[in-house]
Amino acid sequence: MASRRGFLAGLLAAGLAPQASWASAGSPAFLSAGKDAGGAFLLAGLTEDGEVLFRHPLPARGHAAAAHPSRPEAVAFARRPGRFADVIDCRSGAAIARLEPPAGQHFYGHGAFSPDGSRLFTTENDYENARGVIGVWDASGGYKRIAAFASGGIGPHDMLLRRDAPGLVVANGGIETHPDSGRTKLNLPDMRPNLSYLNLDGTLEEQMELPKELHLNSIRHLAMRPDGTVGFAMQWQGDLGEQVPTAGLHQPGSPARLLAEDDPRVLNMNGYGGSIAFSADGSQIGVTSPRGGVLQVLDTVGGALLKEHRMHDVCGLAAAPRGFTASTGTGRFFAISDTGQHRLHRADLAWDNHLIPLS
Amino acid sequence: MRALALTLTLAAAPAAASELSSTITGQLILPAFQELAADSKALNKAAAKDCHPQSETLRAAYGDAFEAWVAASSYRFGPTETDSRAFALAFWPDSRSKTPKALANLIRSEDPGIADPAKFSSYSIAARGFYALEYLLFDPQLSTEGSDKYRCALTRAISTDIASTTQYIKMDWEQNYAAEMRSPANRYQSDAEIIQELLKALTTGLQVLDDMRLGRPLGTFDRPRPNRAEARRSGRSLHHVLVSLNALEPLALALADNHTDLQAKITAGFAKAREKAESLNDPVFAGVADPASRFRIESLQQEIKDLRRLVTGELGPTLGVEAGFNALDGD
Repeated sequence: MASRRGFLAGLLAAGLAPQASWASAGSPAFLSAGKDAGGAFLLAGLTEDGEVLFRHPLPARGHAAAAHPSRPEAVAFARRPGRFADVIDCRSGAAIARLEPPAGQHFYGHGAFSPDGSRLFTTENDYENARGVIGVWDASGGYKRIAAFASGGIGPHDMLLRRDAPGLVVANGGIETHPDSGRTKLNLPDMRPNLSYLNLDGTLEEQMELPKELHLNSIRHLAMRPDGTVGFAMQWQGDLGEQVPTAGLHQPGSPARLLAEDDPRVLNMNGYGGSIAFSADGSQIGVTSPRGGVLQVLDTVGGALLKEHRMHDVCGLAAAPRGFTASTGTGRFFAISDTGQHRLHRADLAWDNHLIPLS
Repeated sequence: MRALALTLTLAAAPAAASELSSTITGQLILPAFQELAADSKALNKAAAKDCHPQSETLRAAYGDAFEAWVAASSYRFGPTETDSRAFALAFWPDSRSKTPKALANLIRSEDPGIADPAKFSSYSIAARGFYALEYLLFDPQLSTEGSDKYRCALTRAISTDIASTTQYIKMDWEQNYAAEMRSPANRYQSDAEIIQELLKALTTGLQVLDDMRLGRPLGTFDRPRPNRAEARRSGRSLHHVLVSLNALEPLALALADNHTDLQAKITAGFAKAREKAESLNDPVFAGVADPASRFRIESLQQEIKDLRRLVTGELGPTLGVEAGFNALDGD
C-alpha cells in the first residue's frame, strides 16, 4: 500500500495538489511600489483599474517587483542603493522572507524568477569592485542565496527572462555608483551601457552596445515581446537639449534599432525614459517620462512616434487589452488607447516607477 | 494626509482656483498668443514687401515676432503641441545642426515645393520657424548661398508658415483651450490640475532659462560652448533671457496670488536676475570662454536657480502641488 507521503508526492508530481495560486490572492492584475499619504512605503497588489487589493509595508522606498510564475508570491525590491528584497505572500500580505545581498553589495531594484519558479535572479552592485552582479536565490524553499555571476557590465538595472531562448537579458546602465557617495555618478566620461544576454548559469551569450556617440545613453528599462524582441528605454546623461532617442528595439543577432530618432518630440522626454512596455499585440511600444510628463507611443514596425499622452508624473506602464495602462506619482491609473486617455481609479497613494503585470 | 488636506481645501474654495486660472488665461496667456499672431502677420507682410536679409524693416519685424514667441513659449501645452506647432516655430536646441543642413539642401536643389504653403507646412520642422529664418537673415554663409531669388522665396515661405502656425495657435486658444483653463471640463478634471499645468509652465520656463539658454553656452569650465548660445547669429541670446524673465514674472506673481510674502520674494528674485542680466553687456554670452567674465554669467544662472528653488520649494507647496514623486527620482 502506498504511503501517505508517497501519495502526496505523486499528486505533487502530477500537479494535482491543491496549491495556492494567484487566484487565491484575489488575482491582482498588477503590482506596484508606492508611498502612502503619511509618507510610508509599500508594495501594493492592484486590479486592472488601479484599485488596491493588498498593501504590504516596506522598510524604505521600493522600486520594481517580481511575481512568482505560479505561487501567489511577490518580491518587492528596494530602490537602489537599498539592501532589502521582501518576499510576500500575496494572499495575506505576510512576509515570507527578507533577502539581503552579501556585504559590499546592494540591490538595483529589479529581478526576475526562472520560468519554473525555482530560482530568483536579482540585479546587484558589487560596489567595492565596481562590478554588476546577478544574485541567484533558491525560490523552491527558503530563498537561500545559491550563486552569483557577472551581469556583463556596470550598473545592471532592469532584467527580464528571454522569450526566444532560456536565459536572461540584463540592462547594464553603465553608471558606477558607490553608497559612500549616495547616488552620485562616478564614471560618466567612460560609461558604456549594454544589453547582455546571459544563460541561466550566467554565461554571456551576446552583448549589444549602442553606437559610440550614444555611450552616455544609459540603458535602464526593458520590455519583452513574445517573439523575443527586447524593447529598451534609455536615460541620457549628457547635456540637456541634445536630441537623443529614449527607446530602442533589439533582437539577438541583429543590430539595435533606435526609435523616433529624427522626431523633434523626443525632446519632450527630457532625455529620460522611465518605463517601457509593448502593447498587447506587439505592434506598439510605449515609453514614459515623468520628467516630461508624457507617454510616447511608437510604432514597432516603422519606428515612428505615433502619439503623445500627457500625464503629470507618469511613470508606470503595462500592456492593456486596448493599448496601455499607465500609473502616476499622483496615484492615478489611466487606460491609454489610440484615441486618447481615460481615467481609471485614483488611489490616495503615489505610484512608484513601475507597474508589474501579473499574467 | 496631505492629499486629503488638499482635497478639503479645494472643496472649500473651488471658485478661487478657477478665478486664478481665468485671470491668468485672460490676462497673460491669450494676450501672449494674440501678440505672437499679430507680430507674425506683420513679419509675413514685411517679408512680402522686402525679403532682403539686410532689410531693416524685415529684421525689425523678425525681432518682434521672435520676441513674442519667446514670451509665449512658456505655455507649451495644449494648442502649441497639436501637430508639433511649437517645434515648427522654434526647433532649438538643434544639437545635430539639422536646420542649416535642411536649408542648404533646399537652396541647393531649389525645391519648388516651398511656394505652396500647404506643402511647405509638411516639410521638416528643421527648415521652418524662427531659427531657420535666423540663418537666412543673419548667417554669413546661408544668407548668401545659392540664388537670391530662391532665398527670397524661402524667406517668404518660412514667414508665411510662421504667420499661419501662430494664427492656428491663437484660434485654438481662443475657441477651445481658454475654456479648458477657466474651469475643469475635458482636459482637466479639477481646478488643482489646471493650477498644476500653470505651475509647470512656470517651472519649465525657468528650467529652459537655466539649463538651455544659459546652461548650454556655459557648458563646463573646461569646455565652454559659446557657439551653443541661443539666437547668437542675430545677437539676441541675452535679450531672450530678459524677455523670458519679463514673461515669467507676472505668471509667478499671479500664481502667488494673495500670498504677499511670497510675492515679495518673487519680485526680489526676478529683480536680482534682471539686474545681473542687464549689467552683463555680453549679448551672445561670448564671455563664457573667459574666466573673468564667465563667473558673471554663472552668477546670473545662480539667480535663476534660486528662483527655481523658490518656485518648487515654496510656491508649489503653497498651491498644493508637490514636485513629482517619479520626476525627481531618477532611476
